[in-house]
Amino acid sequence: MSREESSSSHQQPDQAPQALAGLRVLEIADLVAGPYCGKLLAALGADVVKVETPPQGDPSRRSGPFPGDVPHPERSGAYLYLNTGKRGVTLNLSDAQGRALLAELVRQSDVVTHDKQQGQAEKLGLHPDALLQANPNLVAAVLTPYGSDGPYAGYRAYDINVFHAGGEGYLLPNGLALDTFPDRAPIVAGGQMGSYQAGLTAAVGVVAAVYARMNGAPGQAVDSSAQQAQLFVGYVPIQRLEAEGLVEDRFARYFRVGGVLPARDGYVELLTLERRQWDNLVHFLGNPEWATPEKFQEPARYGPEINQRLREWFAQHPREWLYHEGQAHGVPISPYYSPAEVFHSPQQRERDFYLSVDHPEAGAYDYAGLPFHLSETPERTTRAPLLGEHNRQVYASLGYSPEDIVSLARSGVI
Amino acid sequence: MNGNSLKGGPLQGVRVADFSVHAAGPFAGMTLASLGAEVIKVESSARLDITRRPHTMYGKPPSSFEQVNANKCSVTLNLKEPRALELALELVRVSDLVLENFRPGVMDRLGLGYPQLREVKPDVIMVSLSSNGQTGPESRYAGYAPMFAALGGLGHLTGYADGPPVELRHAMDHTGGMMAALAAVAALCAKKPPLYPPLPQWGLGQRADVSVRDIATSFMGPALLDYAMNGREGHRQGNSDDSMAPHGVYRCAGEDAWVSIAVGSEEEWQGLCRALGYPAWAGEPGFGDAYQRWLNRESLDQLLEAWTVQNTPQQVTELLQAEGVAAFPSLAADQLMRDPHLAARDAFPTVEHPEKGTQRAVAPPWQFSHSPSGIDGWTPDLGEHNIDVFHGLLGLPESEVKALEEARVIW
Repeated sequence: MSREESSSSHQQPDQAPQALAGLRVLEIADLVAGPYCGKLLAALGADVVKVETPPQGDPSRRSGPFPGDVPHPERSGAYLYLNTGKRGVTLNLSDAQGRALLAELVRQSDVVTHDKQQGQAEKLGLHPDALLQANPNLVAAVLTPYGSDGPYAGYRAYDINVFHAGGEGYLLPNGLALDTFPDRAPIVAGGQMGSYQAGLTAAVGVVAAVYARMNGAPGQAVDSSAQQAQLFVGYVPIQRLEAEGLVEDRFARYFRVGGVLPARDGYVELLTLERRQWDNLVHFLGNPEWATPEKFQEPARYGPEINQRLREWFAQHPREWLYHEGQAHGVPISPYYSPAEVFHSPQQRERDFYLSVDHPEAGAYDYAGLPFHLSETPERTTRAPLLGEHNRQVYASLGYSPEDIVSLARSGVI
Repeated sequence: MNGNSLKGGPLQGVRVADFSVHAAGPFAGMTLASLGAEVIKVESSARLDITRRPHTMYGKPPSSFEQVNANKCSVTLNLKEPRALELALELVRVSDLVLENFRPGVMDRLGLGYPQLREVKPDVIMVSLSSNGQTGPESRYAGYAPMFAALGGLGHLTGYADGPPVELRHAMDHTGGMMAALAAVAALCAKKPPLYPPLPQWGLGQRADVSVRDIATSFMGPALLDYAMNGREGHRQGNSDDSMAPHGVYRCAGEDAWVSIAVGSEEEWQGLCRALGYPAWAGEPGFGDAYQRWLNRESLDQLLEAWTVQNTPQQVTELLQAEGVAAFPSLAADQLMRDPHLAARDAFPTVEHPEKGTQRAVAPPWQFSHSPSGIDGWTPDLGEHNIDVFHGLLGLPESEVKALEEARVIW
């Protein structure tokens, strides 16, 4: 089999080299954004050591979902998913001895990532200047809701706040949901999308700084703002305002034809953005008389009429038929899949996107994998750590004896 | 080459041949350019990129500035011409990375598939971005941003609980571009000796296969685990959270004015009560603890909104943040561009063009202390860098470049 053919498989031997092998990352971050950044680095081969505050650890250990809905700090789906591939230690940074241990860990790391905001970062010894002083070769990456400086640097924020701070929130929803409920509040994207996106963006900043290091640049601070991460991927309204003087709102941002359409058994998305796709759609509909070419030329005028017709027709057909038959006709249609349907997706299963990950406390489940495949340095997804699981291993590597480690644990430092 | 690139960024010295079109792929190229890579956009008058022409469905005129291609160089090649294909492969030979987001199979058909690229450059990195990935039964299906989110599950999870799913648009596309940028830089790192031993084999090029649909799915890992663990189907829930209350977007004084508020701890709830001056309802047993507040979140939302509507989003934010409560206005584009915090962080740098004047762009979200990232170059005109690239970089005589332009090869 040629290399080209073998690259289609996601299952690779464990000993294959990984893109970030040998990279030592120390993560001091909770919940979604910071841990997602570390999860990506770990999947690419970095040795990520996650620092958690004793005795409870990352708050996502308490957020679930839990098997059988029974809360347990080692069985939270959020924690298990967001911390795959990492080693875990506990360390109390509000204790002076804890901060001294941190400085030792920092000296042994190539990258530190943390999510502590202005003020708190200084108190815990995590200001990039302090980190770089301890280790001048370090990539000191900070990911906070609004960045490390500026008037809002200390603002408290959750996912919903950051999403709405970046411009995209003000523009959701549109299409059918807005037609149905024009007076309701704008919404946040599902699944904490903005926080994942911020974590991904921070990871890009980290690997870029690591690449610069490999080319001889010194260590440096990388300050990422989750708000600006939303703004960067959601730049279009800014560009439209600059170029066209138009302030977009939910009503202006609107596909005049197609969009979300009710099918017989759920919803589909239809987007005919090119002329030939409209022609294909008309053919797919059986060339009804109302579907004249002029209507596509003036979607603003004919959109409501076209959509009324489309809704009537689509409501008669099941999603899977619309998807596969529509695509065969060259019409961009896709179903809205629920989590269960996504989980069983033949396309994603065929590509080995889901990986079975076993965990001594939570059990074995299929996890969503990395959304890209590197042919020669494949990703790896292994389980999340137990709270403090690698204390002995990591602190022993700093020269602490088993007795020292027991005493550090007794005094609440680790 | 005397191009259009940012100077001194972390990816300085990396050259990208960018064959991508539309949104997600060009965004990946722009992201790499904002990190200092030299990105050469290969396009053609034979089939203009959608961002170069007005669009029936988007209903917008061509913008004079297009962020998604800022800081790139532009060359034209009509890839149906054999000589243009030769030049494309010459460009690949002197590039580190090739970026494309055609439907799977199109690059092969053009003569630019991964095997052909490796013939001219054995250690090439090829980053392919697509709706469903390069393999599998649905790999050749057409897709746009809302469809990636629909197939991947995020669309289902977005929307009012009693309404239809919601389209996720540019942010989904461009997040695809950001993930492709991660794959690209990781593959660049893989070609370098690691910072720290052990030292296995290095110097390999490779193919990166990025599926945007899988990105949508990977952003809902816990919801999938809920299904795997408990057989439970997650559903969209508007602005509600699984455990926090209040948690939502609330109407304020002003037209279409909104503020987001989230309370995640008892401490924050006490802060909210202080900011509101301890209204009588806050002491009712129905709001006595976090679980009670969550159970009664609909009436709580109404009572809170009766207060927010008397204030602007900015007033609500200041009052609540002063008490340690997470709140922030839902900002529209004009408000973002006037925002003092974003101004202090230089989020909208001015880009100058000798003839077109000045315009503001959106800065990348990183501040590097040593290797700057940024946007400082205008989007190039179509074929603006034909001489720089084909003459300056590939060594063709200028007269030949002109002749090939006339012959509609460089076109």
